[in-house]
Amino acid sequence: MGFVFSRDGFAEVIRQLGSRYRIYAPVLKKGEGRFTDTDVVRYDYVKNFDEIELEKRSDYSFKEILLPVSGTLFYFTEDKVTEPEMDDREILVFVRSCDLHAVKRFDQIYLHNGQERDWFYERVRDRLKFVLIGCRESFDDCFCVDMHTNESTDGYVFSVEEADGEIYSDLKEEGLRELFSGNSVREEDKAPAHVETNKIFVSVPDEVPVSICKDKVWDEYDSRCIGCGRCTLVCPTCTCFTMEDIYYSDNGKVGERRRVHASCMIDGYSNVAGGGEYRKKHGERMRFKVLHKISDFKKKFGYQMCVGCGRCDMVCPEYISFSECINKVDRAIRSAEDGKEAQA
Amino acid sequence: MDINVKELKKNAFRYSKVRGETASRIRITGGKINAKVMRQVAEIAEEYGDGTIFITNRQGIELLGIPMEKMGEVNEKLQPIIDAMGTNQEERGKGYSASGTRNIVACPGEELCPFACYDTTAFARKVEHEIFPNNRHVKVAFTGCSNDCAKVRMDDFGIIGMTEPQYDPDRCIGCGQCVKYCEKRSVGALRLVNNKVVRDTDLCIGCGVCVTYCPTRAWTRSKERYFRLTLLGRTGKKNPRLAEDFIRWADEESITKIIKNAYAYVEEYIDPHAVEGKEHIGYIVDRTGFEEFYKWIMKDVQLPEKAEVSSHMYWGGKWYDRSNELK
Amino acid sequence: MSNPYIPFASKILDVKKHTQKEYTFRMEYHGEVKPGQFFEVSVPKFGEAPISVSGIGDGYVELTIRRVGRVTNEVFENYVGDSLLMRGPYGNGFDISIFDHGETLVVAGGTGVSPVRGVIEALAASPAAKDTHVIVGFRSPADMLFRSDLEEWKDKLDLVLTVDGAPEGYAGNIGLVTKYIPQIQLRDVSAAKAIVVGPPPMMRFSIMGFLDMGFREENIWVSNERKMCCGLGKCGHCRIGDKYVCLDGPVFNYTESKNLID
Repeated sequence: MGFVFSRDGFAEVIRQLGSRYRIYAPVLKKGEGRFTDTDVVRYDYVKNFDEIELEKRSDYSFKEILLPVSGTLFYFTEDKVTEPEMDDREILVFVRSCDLHAVKRFDQIYLHNGQERDWFYERVRDRLKFVLIGCRESFDDCFCVDMHTNESTDGYVFSVEEADGEIYSDLKEEGLRELFSGNSVREEDKAPAHVETNKIFVSVPDEVPVSICKDKVWDEYDSRCIGCGRCTLVCPTCTCFTMEDIYYSDNGKVGERRRVHASCMIDGYSNVAGGGEYRKKHGERMRFKVLHKISDFKKKFGYQMCVGCGRCDMVCPEYISFSECINKVDRAIRSAEDGKEAQA
Repeated sequence: MDINVKELKKNAFRYSKVRGETASRIRITGGKINAKVMRQVAEIAEEYGDGTIFITNRQGIELLGIPMEKMGEVNEKLQPIIDAMGTNQEERGKGYSASGTRNIVACPGEELCPFACYDTTAFARKVEHEIFPNNRHVKVAFTGCSNDCAKVRMDDFGIIGMTEPQYDPDRCIGCGQCVKYCEKRSVGALRLVNNKVVRDTDLCIGCGVCVTYCPTRAWTRSKERYFRLTLLGRTGKKNPRLAEDFIRWADEESITKIIKNAYAYVEEYIDPHAVEGKEHIGYIVDRTGFEEFYKWIMKDVQLPEKAEVSSHMYWGGKWYDRSNELK
Repeated sequence: MSNPYIPFASKILDVKKHTQKEYTFRMEYHGEVKPGQFFEVSVPKFGEAPISVSGIGDGYVELTIRRVGRVTNEVFENYVGDSLLMRGPYGNGFDISIFDHGETLVVAGGTGVSPVRGVIEALAASPAAKDTHVIVGFRSPADMLFRSDLEEWKDKLDLVLTVDGAPEGYAGNIGLVTKYIPQIQLRDVSAAKAIVVGPPPMMRFSIMGFLDMGFREENIWVSNERKMCCGLGKCGHCRIGDKYVCLDGPVFNYTESKNLID
């Protein structure tokens, strides 16, 4: 069932939902970008509709709610382990379609990879409900259409998008009907907007041969990439973390264990005790990351990892395009195949 | 030919070695000019000068080979440029009203540069508006960060942008990039303790390199803009020297006031017998002592709590009037 | 719902010092465990380190810890005679039933002996002992681990002990393990099985040696050491290609591991 709201009417809906849920949404943080007087859009808790950034794509993804950038797992004393207290309200998370698809990738790793479900992840995940932000237009570097994540038909409580000064919403949860109809201008079925085409096209190879690992396609990244890890830190499908212990007492017996986002692009990710490092070159790291997104994950779980949100392209300080790299890999595979055929 | 050379110089024309010729000096405050105005500048050079344009060290423009008798016409033609730059003027159509206070220099600043901590051109224009026109020989320059691309340490008043890095430990993954880049590109004021970053607040120069390189936005810039004010650097024959730090974590208002106050001090203490009434401010301070200068420039200045003022000021540089020997 | 991240305290029953840098800790443990599996050992102030099971017995496991990182340093300094926090066991481990019949060649280098020590012990005690060949290499005589085990194994199976280098006058074998691989006498190499564990270059060259001798790829097994952090298939550090070393490994058949590119 669809509803059309004035901004004020929808703001009232959000205000009322705010007493039942915590609301986690993209927020424009003024002046908090890399450079002076530049902004960043990242997720935060909001109270009012006005705080929510519906226009711009968030620079950092919603994943920070599922896997906090730096989060305490538990505190320990000499003989006791205590988990941190948690607000037990449900959380409404505002996401676009690509990100809603990314949730499935997170669940895959944290709930379904291996025999154990991730205890910390699950207790947050169980509280999350999603609000779908409709996309009326593609951003410059999106390639969701080619990654088949441009449309979401379920998995959300309601959708939201702004058009011609009105708010359109597609409500999926019967329990909210009264709240929605009471504040709307009219009822009108509106499927959430989604884009049918992007400005960026990627050709993801069906089969990625092992030989691509030795291809020279990765070499340029040895010098171009600075190994800062931004591409993975903003990625809604990068799930890696590192655990670390912090000790409060001198004897080291009282402290906390945390986990922080980890990146296969950043120094130290593949270090083993004694100083060994498996991927020193940035080109190797790029290969490791890219092949995970477009091949290795799929081999294990049956579908592509990358959702084509384009954040990695946008954030790269060295103007390295992930989507362009996919296409370069695809061309390298094709030309290797052509070479083989020619030889045969 | 009868020309009042003193008036000519004051009117921002240059005394040339070619008799009867002059050059017109155009102020480009903060070094930024729009292309349309630049085209007007070029037209004057072609119509009245020999068609060549000299770009000065202080980001000004000089139009060469102008016959002295054309100065009046040139002044009229300069009006739209003066208007476009917003330069203060005593009488319209008469060109620049002074030349002693030099064109105010600025690096490209935040509009372009990833490291700049503020809008250098805007601040330069604001100060220009406060102090120009004035015949006293004062040099002011603005630079966006501690890289000091504008070389403000060669000026009487140098303004260096600063930001106070804001740290959110909850967004920090301990990747150490800020530590590495602070070490390699700045002063090494950061270190990792317990996988979080600790900033040596005394050593930190507020350059913002940590913010630029932080991949998670754990480091962000302070909402407040801060500045380092350096004093009395100079080139020249007698005692060239670099400016020294006077205040760090200063604010825009105080800096503007300090520069303005300096003019009253110069009027009070300038050598009445100075050649052409021109004595560099730094040499006046050498005569009166810094304490007297301090009293004048800090008059009615209310520094914010965060600002720290140097308690003693010493300058280096070679005194050529005492020794010209090489070591 | 139990929380797999929370470690349990395990008493240190005994400590055996092999070298200045390598000790074996006998830890109280009741539960199933296989050679080649590993535990995450927590050390207050420093975090966790993955440690291979080097011995299994009634009510205990043995963990041979090399002092190579911050975490293991701490264990050596402060925790002898106390207890350690551990999680695990993790990983697949070696399936003894594959090796306890027919001919097997085990090649291990340095701390790589730990994960296969349990395999060697099991084979030494089995009827297959006489068909078991073991090549163990250390950097120098001073770096030797499990000296008393080596003495025992010598009597039960075909053991070649070698060091990369030694002071003058050393009477034993000198040379890399790869020098001794071709010298192993096998009745039917095409049916024989091989295991190799050690530093990456040693493993690479040993496998080349096996293949040269005529071992079949599917009869070669390796144990891969990677940075393992969570042990649960979540943190991502140990992933290679589509495999998670902590879940799918660390023991891999060579037909799988040859396609895993770091």
